[in-house]
Amino acid sequence: MTPCDEYLEDPEANAAHLETCLACRALVEDLDEEIEVRHRPLNVDALPLAPWEGASHRTWPLVAAGVVATLILAIVLFFAAGVSSLSGITQAVLSAIPPVQPVVRVLQLTGHALGVPMVAVLFVVINTILFFLLRRAPRGYDV
Amino acid sequence: MFRKIVVPLTTLAAVAVLCMIVSPTGASERRRFTNDVYVIGQKASINEPVAGSVQIYRGDVVVANAIAGDLLVLGGSVTFTGAGRVDGNLIYAASRVSNAENRIRGHIYPLASLEGAAVSMTKNAIVASLLLVWLIAAIVVTLMSGREIRLSSAEVRSSALHCFVLGLVALTSFVLTAIAFSYLVPYVVGIPLLAALAVFAILTKVYGMIAVFHAVGTLVAGSRTRQQLASRKWLRGDLAMVVIGVLLLGAIRMIPVAGTIVWGLASVFAVGTALATKFGRREPWFLEFRAANA
Repeated sequence: MTPCDEYLEDPEANAAHLETCLACRALVEDLDEEIEVRHRPLNVDALPLAPWEGASHRTWPLVAAGVVATLILAIVLFFAAGVSSLSGITQAVLSAIPPVQPVVRVLQLTGHALGVPMVAVLFVVINTILFFLLRRAPRGYDV
Repeated sequence: MFRKIVVPLTTLAAVAVLCMIVSPTGASERRRFTNDVYVIGQKASINEPVAGSVQIYRGDVVVANAIAGDLLVLGGSVTFTGAGRVDGNLIYAASRVSNAENRIRGHIYPLASLEGAAVSMTKNAIVASLLLVWLIAAIVVTLMSGREIRLSSAEVRSSALHCFVLGLVALTSFVLTAIAFSYLVPYVVGIPLLAALAVFAILTKVYGMIAVFHAVGTLVAGSRTRQQLASRKWLRGDLAMVVIGVLLLGAIRMIPVAGTIVWGLASVFAVGTALATKFGRREPWFLEFRAANA
């Protein structure tokens, strides 16, 4: 360990080192200089609104109003159509799930219509483009 | 220690998957493809028996003889006459099928099941029911991970074009990957792969749609200034933005044609923003390694 290292490790115990070393003395003089702090008036309200400001607020009356309004709308529409509301809503939700067997069959038929070489080429090309698109980082600002 | 366990396990898993692909369980399925008939954008008539399946895309076909496989009709019309029948399933979407009673041995599947269900009840009632499900799902997800939803919402607002392009490419990739996996359906590994892809696609769509709801809500009812935010009692916070977004897009969804288009576009944005932000986690999907500076 050099004398400079010893001084940097324990400046008080090796204070005499400053008298002999120009480099360390210059360093200490630099560090001892006072930093001028310029105070500027900062108007927080003038800064743009950050997305996270007020984000944790939970407006339960609005949520309840939205759910109730949608529920009433669905019940009234089913009632107008002459369908039991409960079974109507259940059927509507179940109808949104596509049947598995025909979807698989359509995929098979489409794959056969396109042909294996075409599917292979398209698969590689599209997934390569997807790979390069996914390499882009999202816009970085704190939310 | 970690590598000693992971590498052999990965190798074993890869070998197991390879064996499942190589060992067929229903390879006879392939033979059915050899006699398929395609009708694209023209009028045709099935007068001879068809040993395979028949696919009709934007065409008008008269089926006067037996079809051994499935009948797929997309955007066309099919009329059964004489001895016309289908031994497999009838799958149709945006199509008109006439005189098919008692001529389909398998099942009849309307692909766009929403439209199929609308025969017995109003379409708007179904849309309202689905809107209720979306609303509940959006509230639950926003309460669980509001920060992630907010990040994805910010992404779709700040990089809309990127999200749209990424969504389009990703949807195409999903379909192509599903087609590629469908080749493996006769083998053991096909169905699990398709199921995994479907689950991932559905999760991506659902998460992304909630982010789009938040983005729409913020664009329409979000606070622009701090004073505006402070003065608001109800229209503030992630939950309120999501609810407003759901209600707005849901109202648009009830408009015929335009609603479907808008909802479809929103789905593209949704998939794009979910993938662009890695479900709001702000992590790169693929790490870019660079040489360390000395």
